[in-house]
Parts: sequence; C-alpha cells; structure tokens
Amino acid sequence: MRISTQTLFGASTATLQRQQAEFLRIGQQLASGQRVLKPSDDPLASSRALEVSQSKAVAEQYAAARVGARNALSQQEQVLNSIGHAITSAKTLAVQAASDTLTPADRASIAAELRGILETVLGQANAADGNGRYLFGGFQDDSPPFVRDGAGAVSYVGDANARNLRIDDARLMAVGDNGITLFQMVQAGAGYVATAAPGNAGNLTFTGPLVLDNSAPDHGSAFTLEFSVAGDSISYSVNGAPAQIWQAGEPVVFGGLSLKLDGVPAAGDSLVVAPSGGVNTDLFATLKNLVDALERPDQTATDKARLRNTLNTSMRELDNALDNILTVRASVGAKLNELDTVDEVAGNRILNYEETLSQLVDFDLVKGISDYSLRQMGLEASQKAFVDITRMSLFNFL
Amino acid sequence: MKIFSIGVSGLSSAQAALLATSNNISNVYTPGYHREIPVLEQQRVGGVGVGAIQRQFNQFVAAQLNSATSNLSGLDAYHAQVAQIDNLLGSSNTGLAPLLQSFFSSLQDVVASPADPAARMGVIGTANALTAQFRAVDGYLHSMQHSINGQIGNEITGINDTLAQIARLNNEITLAVANRGEAPNALLNQRDAMVNKLAESMDVRVSYLDGVNYSIAMADGKPLVVGGRHFEIEAVMAADDPTRVTVGYDGPAGTPVELGETVFAGGRLGGLMAFRRETLDSVQNGIGLLAASLAHAFNGQHGGGTDLYGNAGGDLFALGAPRLFANDNNSGGAQFSAIFDGTAALSGADYDIRVSDAASGTFVVTRRDTGASFDIALNGANQLAFDGLVLTLDDPAQLVDGDSYLLQPTRNVTRDFANLIRDPGLIAAGQSASSGDNRNALALLDLQNSKVVGGRASLNQAYAGLVSDVGIRTNIAELNLQAQRGFTEQIRVVQQSESGVNLDEEAANLIRYQQYYQANAKIIEVASTLFDTILGVSR
Repeated sequence: MRISTQTLFGASTATLQRQQAEFLRIGQQLASGQRVLKPSDDPLASSRALEVSQSKAVAEQYAAARVGARNALSQQEQVLNSIGHAITSAKTLAVQAASDTLTPADRASIAAELRGILETVLGQANAADGNGRYLFGGFQDDSPPFVRDGAGAVSYVGDANARNLRIDDARLMAVGDNGITLFQMVQAGAGYVATAAPGNAGNLTFTGPLVLDNSAPDHGSAFTLEFSVAGDSISYSVNGAPAQIWQAGEPVVFGGLSLKLDGVPAAGDSLVVAPSGGVNTDLFATLKNLVDALERPDQTATDKARLRNTLNTSMRELDNALDNILTVRASVGAKLNELDTVDEVAGNRILNYEETLSQLVDFDLVKGISDYSLRQMGLEASQKAFVDITRMSLFNFL
Repeated sequence: MKIFSIGVSGLSSAQAALLATSNNISNVYTPGYHREIPVLEQQRVGGVGVGAIQRQFNQFVAAQLNSATSNLSGLDAYHAQVAQIDNLLGSSNTGLAPLLQSFFSSLQDVVASPADPAARMGVIGTANALTAQFRAVDGYLHSMQHSINGQIGNEITGINDTLAQIARLNNEITLAVANRGEAPNALLNQRDAMVNKLAESMDVRVSYLDGVNYSIAMADGKPLVVGGRHFEIEAVMAADDPTRVTVGYDGPAGTPVELGETVFAGGRLGGLMAFRRETLDSVQNGIGLLAASLAHAFNGQHGGGTDLYGNAGGDLFALGAPRLFANDNNSGGAQFSAIFDGTAALSGADYDIRVSDAASGTFVVTRRDTGASFDIALNGANQLAFDGLVLTLDDPAQLVDGDSYLLQPTRNVTRDFANLIRDPGLIAAGQSASSGDNRNALALLDLQNSKVVGGRASLNQAYAGLVSDVGIRTNIAELNLQAQRGFTEQIRVVQQSESGVNLDEEAANLIRYQQYYQANAKIIEVASTLFDTILGVSR
C-alpha cells in the first residue's frame, strides 16, 4: 500500500500523542495517589466511593455524637456519685439523731449538718454543663430546674423529658435524666413507708413496717390506721374497717404487713402505711422534714414521738432515694459501657470503609511506578522512531 | 524532420510531468489536495502528448470519509461537553456530596446541644454553603444550555456559508466544464474540501448524478444544495420550549419548518443536540430533583417542629416552581400553572401533555424519559394532579384538541434553591419551645438516611447515582470517540494511499522526469547532428 507523507507524519504524531496522554495520566495518578481522577475513569467505583465516604462520614458523625453522649453521661455520673454520698451522710446523721441521749444542742448541730447536705444536693441537682445548660431540667435546660420558695420548700420546674442522641445507626440513647427521675421517684421494688399524721396528739411511735406475706390480699395498697380510745381500751381500724382492740406492745398486722407500735395514741391519731411510690418521694421534702423535725423543740412526749416517727419515715425515704440514685447511676454506667462497645465496633467499621474506599479509588503505587517507567520507555521509543522515520527521505540523497 | 517534433513533444511532456511532480511536492501538506498524475498518451503522428493531469480522487472513499468525519466530530462535540460536567459533580472541590455531609454534621451539633447558638448558626452556615453550591452547579449547567444554543447558532451560520460556497463551486465547475471540457482540479479539490467541512457540522447525503454537480441533502432527504441553488437552515426557538435553539428549514417551498432533532445524528450539530437531549437535560433535572426533594423533606419536617420563639417552624429552603410551556403552535389559548404538592414523590422526568379531548378535559401525559404515557382528566377544580405535581388550568373553554404543553418539573427549580432562615432562633429543633428539646432536630437528621428522593433513594444515593450516570455517559462517549477516531484514521489512510503525496515517490519521479527530459533533449541533439550531417553532404 502507498503511504503518503502526511500519513507517515500523522500516524507518528498520533502515536506520540497517545503515548504522551497515557504518560501524563499515570503521572497524574502517581502525583494524586488516586486511580480514579474523574468519575468517567470508573463510574461505578466513583459512585460507590461517594456512597462509602458518606457511610464513613455518617459513622464519624455518630462517633461525634458518642463523644457528646459520653461527656454528658460522665458529668451526670459524677453528680450522681456526690448525691449518693450526700444521701448516705444524711442517713448516718438521721441514725445519730435517733439516739435518745442527744441534747437539743446536739440535734441542732445535726440539723445544721443536714441543712448543709440539703444545700449540696440542691446545688448538684441544679448542676449545669460547660455551656450553662442545666443537666436535670429535661428539655427546660435554660433555667435552674429546682427552685426554692420563701418557706424553703423546693419544687421542680423542669419537665419529664430526656434528650436522645443517635449514637449509632439503630441506637437512640437518652443521654440525660430529668429531675423527676432522679429526685422525685422511687424504684418499683421499694417497700412500704409508714408516716404518722402531723397532728397526732398521743406519743405513739412505730417501727417498720415489715413485710410478712406479699401475697396477702390487699398487699400493695395503702392503709390508714385510725386509733380510738375508750377508757383503757385502745382500738384501731384499718381503712375504715371495723375497729379492733390493740394490745399495747403488740404489733398490728394487716395486708401482709406487720407494724410494731409503742406508746399510747390519743383518740383520732392516725398512721398511713403506703407503698413508697404513693407517699412522699421527693428527696428535698424528706431532707427538709428531717431538718424541720430536728429543729423543733421536743419538750413533751408527743414531741418526742413525733420526732421519732419523722426520723423513722425519713430513714425509709432516704433508703429509697439512695436506691433510686444508685439505680440511675448504674444505668448511666451501663450506657457508658455501651458507648465503649459501640465505639470499638464503629471504629472497625470506619476502618473497613477506609479500606473499601482505598480499594475503590486509590492508586496501587507499586504497579503505578512500574507502569510509569514502562510508559516513559514507550514514549522515548516512539520519539526515537519518529525522528528516525522522518529523517529518511530520498531528497537527502539528491 | 519528424524526429525533431517527436523530441519536442517528449520535452514538453517531460515539462508537464515535472510540473505535476513539483505541484505535488509543493502541495504535500495542503489539506484537501489530491495527488495529480500526468497521463501520457502516444500521438498518432508519432511522439507523445499529455492527455490529462489526472486527480487521484475516489468518490466512494471520499463519501466514506465524510460520513466517518461526521460521526467523529459529532462524538467529539458530545465528549467535549460531557467531560465538562463529568468532573463538575464528581470532584471533591465542586461536588455536592461534601457539602451535603457537612450540612448533616451541623444538624448533629444541634441535636447534641439544641439551644447552642453556635450550633444553630452552623446549620445556617452549612445550609447557605450547600444551597449556594447547588445554585453554582445549576448555573454552570444553565450556562452550558446557553452556550449550546449559541454553538448551534454558529454551526448553522457556518453551514449556510458552506452550502452557499458549494452551490457557487457547482456553478463555476459547470462553467469550466462547458468552456474547456474538463474541470479544473483546484475547484474540485475546493468543493470536496467544502463537503468535508460540511460533514463536520452535520451529516449529509451527497449525490453526483450528472457527473458535474454535487447535490446535497439532509439525512431525511430534504435538499440543501441542488445545482447552483442552496436552501438555508436557520436557528429557531423550539415551539415546545422557548428556551431552546433548534434548527428550522426554509426549503424550496419557502415556509420555514422546525426540524426534529433526530434528523441530525452526526456532525457537531448532532453531537451538541444529542448531548443536550440525553445528558444535560437529565443532569439538570436530576440536580433539580435533589434540590426539590431536599427542600420538601426538610420543609415538611421543619414545619412539624417548634422554634425557640414557640412558633411552628417555617420553611427552611426556598425552591423554584415547576416550569410549563404552552406549545407555540397551539390553536387554543388555555394556560396551565404548575406547583409541587410537596409531599408525593417526584420523578424528575419531563412530561408532554396533549389535549386528547377538549370537551371532557382529557389529556394524554407522556413521560419523556421512559416514553410511558397515561390518560388523565381535569378534576372539579380544573386541576391535573400526578407525580407530586398539581397543574391548574385557567380556562377549560379555551382548550383545543391536539394542543400540547411541555412540563419540566425540576429543570428550573435549583436557581431559586436557597436557605430561608437567617435567625438561629427560628430553627425548629424541638417539638416544644423548650430550649433543650432536640426531637425535631433528630427527626431532621434522620432524613439523611431516609429515602426522600422519589421514595427510592436517600439524597446521597441519588447524588451518587447522578454522578455515576454522568460518569458512564462520559466513559461511553470516550470509548465511542476512540473507536470512531481509529476507524476514521483507517479510512483516512486508505484515502491518503490513493490521493496523498509521497515525497520519496515524488523525488523518484523528479529524477525520472529529469532523465526523461534529458533523453528527449538528446533526441533533439541527435536530430540536430543528423541535420548537420545532411547539410554537410549536400555542401
């Protein structure tokens, strides 16, 4: 076949250009470390890469959420820890105060210590994070959730919500507990609490109640014991049922419970024995009752009985409150553990994503460098060929 | 002395041959030049003559080369365009994926600390950046539409110019043939070069029936050049879409008609139109679909929340309206207006809506991407509702059978895609006004993995789909281009092997004809010697 001079040059330059383009491409791949420089180089890999990098980014987003969750939970854990200590101290003080040998001055000093504890707990309940957001107000995190009125009563102004964070694909974690859960609730398993009516005129005191039979009829409901006195005979009625005679010193038994009673009630005195969820569950009210009772002078037998009864009630309530705080603390601890586990799993997942991403779009350097030298040689060879071919001309010999 | 005249005839033939050779040498790199060979003929009275200077031209190879050129320049034009958007969407600098991701990350910050003004400001910032990038991408695609309109106009001007020149050359060649019995090679070369230039712009059919004139027609047979006359094409706005330049044809009848785009399969014109039809429109629709899905999903969820002032959340994103054009050729004056219904899934396709029965208000709606069509009738409120769109007709009395409308739901929405919220307090992070309520922010964040695009894909999946779609199209265009380039190169080699100049060959010819000349000169010298001898004898 005839070869025209134009074809000769054209074919050689086309080859040169092709070689150069390939050489440049490998050079770019080497320089960027990327095999896929633009989507058309490998459309499927590049769209896969987009999806994988989004999955990776989402995983990292969850990791950031976990950092936030861990901060919030650790902070909460510390606060709960110190509240737990405070309740334990209050319980110790209440036990001390129950001693009959204490002078009014001793009791006043215990009352002062308890007041200090009340302040500590209130301060912790109104704890805020670094941004000034209150920890235990539910969604109302912009003002202190516990406020005190003029009479010293503490009330909760937050709400009953808890903030959730998405810490993993399918895991929404509550990262805060509100004031209700922490300070105004008892665990479902908490037992009965007995409370003497504040207006009791006799010197009746109680110990207990003890649970005798938790399958007895009416067990689980609240009971009101009302006393009536006819001469020497003292009788009581449970929840308005027909009155029964009470033998002094004998425990009274009802609804599977046994309540030991001492002293002598006045007519019309009453006791309430109720599951702890149904009576006062507010830690602040408990502490305040305790302080108030200790600060009150105990001149008469009635006063002494009232103090003793309040101490008994409060100790039960403090036990329940401590249980509650410890339970919440345990759940916070469990969440922190869960965060560690999820972190580990997600860390592996992120590594996998990175590896996939790298397989999809990254350049194999070993292969790349050998290709690079190969292309370089190819280009040099075709340059040499171009020079040789174009130098050949019959005109050189004319 | 016959020997003298024979020698002289040889000398002049050798001169003619040397002339042809030097012409070949000097035109070795001239585009459109065809090698010329002197055809020597023995003379009846003795001696030699030059019959013709033959142009080495093969009509069939030329036709093949023209058609290959047409395809090549079409693919080249397509590829040049599609390569521009290949990297626009996929690159980490201009792509939407990183911005989409940082928008969701900033939402995560609000979930973690819903009242934090910095976190809220972060959402506003990333939403601004995201919408701005959407608009930038859309702006780029819009400017490509504009530039394609302009390029089509330029091609048409060039085509008309070339058509006029071919017609003129037809005339000149006819004249030359009439005067001298043969055509001047230079004019023929010029005309063939013109046809090749025309083939680069559009695919044409060339016929050479009378052996003198080229008749040129479009792929569908409409004549462009007949003898010395040419019929122009012109750039017109499409009847169905006034934003689009397409090709109209004046024709012998003189009434311009709009040509279907499928007439132009090859050439730059065909390549540009195919790119616009197959890729640019669908990418623009796809970006619009993403923006619309994002806006609808977020506005819907945001409206369900409460901002820091205790009010229901307002719209987060603004969005343009669906675009709808009544066909220029409609005989009735009824007009539609279109809105999104905001909840149902959008398809991202364009729709043709044709009145099938004006009296009952019945229409045939055809999806342009799939070609699927369905019948739909006006409801009591004079509305058509389908695929997440609500179209309201202004006056059913003006409907005329056969009138048509073009609906482009998501083509034009991205231009107005913007973040509406400037005040961080207006972000509805909660479902109550409580500062610590993050429930709605959580719901907004969950949209990241929800199938909000047409109910089929998450935002990122849809975007990845778009990128791979463009990537595949570019990839195919590249492969086709390479294949066509190789094929065209082969045909060019065949054409060149017949018509191209080889300098070595011409160098040999130069020596050959030089010796030929010297030999003939020798004949004259011998004749002269003989003549002298005769003269000497007679003396």
